[in-house]
Amino acid sequence: MAVIVETENLLRTIVASLVAGVGVTVIFSVAIWGAARFADLNRDDRHLAAGAAATLAGLALAATLIAVAFGIVVMTRK
Amino acid sequence: MSSDVILVIVVGTALAFDFTNGFHDTANVVATSISTGAARPSVAIGIASLLNFAGAFISISVAATVAKDVVNADVVTPTVVFAGLIGAIAWNLITWSVGLPSSSSHALIGGVVGSAVAASGLDAVLADGLVGKVLIPALIAPILAFLVAGLAIGLVYRIVGRQRPGVVTRGFRFGQLISGGLLALAHGTNDAQKTMGVITLALVANGTLAAEANPPLWVIVSAATAIALGTYSGGWRIIRTTGTRIIKMDAAQGFSAQGAGAAVILASTHFGFPLSTTHVINGGVMGAGAGKRVSAVRWGVAGNIVVAWLLTLPAAAAIGALAYGLTRIFGTGALGPVLVTLMSLSLIVAIFARRSRAGAPVAVH
Repeated sequence: MAVIVETENLLRTIVASLVAGVGVTVIFSVAIWGAARFADLNRDDRHLAAGAAATLAGLALAATLIAVAFGIVVMTRK
Repeated sequence: MSSDVILVIVVGTALAFDFTNGFHDTANVVATSISTGAARPSVAIGIASLLNFAGAFISISVAATVAKDVVNADVVTPTVVFAGLIGAIAWNLITWSVGLPSSSSHALIGGVVGSAVAASGLDAVLADGLVGKVLIPALIAPILAFLVAGLAIGLVYRIVGRQRPGVVTRGFRFGQLISGGLLALAHGTNDAQKTMGVITLALVANGTLAAEANPPLWVIVSAATAIALGTYSGGWRIIRTTGTRIIKMDAAQGFSAQGAGAAVILASTHFGFPLSTTHVINGGVMGAGAGKRVSAVRWGVAGNIVVAWLLTLPAAAAIGALAYGLTRIFGTGALGPVLVTLMSLSLIVAIFARRSRAGAPVAVH
């Protein structure tokens, strides 16, 4: 029984690690992509597209920070 | 009276172990940030120390595992815990002196298991807990970190691969301040709890605490302080191994490696698995390297580290058993632990003197 419980917790650990580790990295990469596109588009005077890229970067950065905060809150709630 | 003296020695030794744990593991926590240029060494180590301290307060699941699920608390005495700690400290210092990032956690668990077996035979070991909560997670965690970091860096390069390198590098260096901070927090929470668990085990063995009690606040605060001070004192020799000798990293790889390490350690801590943070972080570093180019990883160096990992549990167990035997030569009172402590301090001084003669840099300012 104890082994079954540990297996379940191990699987949860694996899933949580994959979702958090890959998910947060990908979302942050989107933020950087947005920032890089903003710089390029702004330089080309395409201000509307640059604004959209900046918005995407800001949202992705906010999502990254929220995900990190959520992870810490989950840790402290047990 | 004698048992109280032993308890004081055990608590002091446990905090010394915690200090060496932080000292030994500084490199794991900060190496990627330093090697990619995301933070200056003094800044990275200062932040890591503070977050190691903070991390010690966010969970006690791992402390409960170490205190209740690895060895049978009914047969454990403060002297057994003391000898286990000596085994762990000795192995930590030996591997630190030769520059190998072995696992402080496995050294601690190996030391305690070795001394418990020396004291009471194999019945002292809770096999279900040792296998289910320590050994299996120990095997899975570094592989998981490797896969998470490898998958993450593959996706990162797909997303930002065609963008200007300057913006991308600056962005990921900024991100490393977050991922490095999370990694330090994760390290603090998992590793400081092992010391809390061991002190709790000694307090229960001494009759100071009830068997099902959680670590008292003073134990949590003192463990947090010891690991933070140890981290600040830092281990430069191992930084080189983790940060640059395994792979030469860019900032995106550093971010992926640190993110993978933090995710695996925090998730495992939540479920009470006392992981080797060293294994996990090195797994993440290798995964981030292999995700870009398999040949970028210096597998020979990685292989040496794996050998150190394999040796840690049995070697610390053997030293723990030896320390228990030495302690018992002088009876069941406080004399044995006092003499073994003095011998251990002499060993530590000798190792530091050898390092000083070798001219290795130690201090961080």
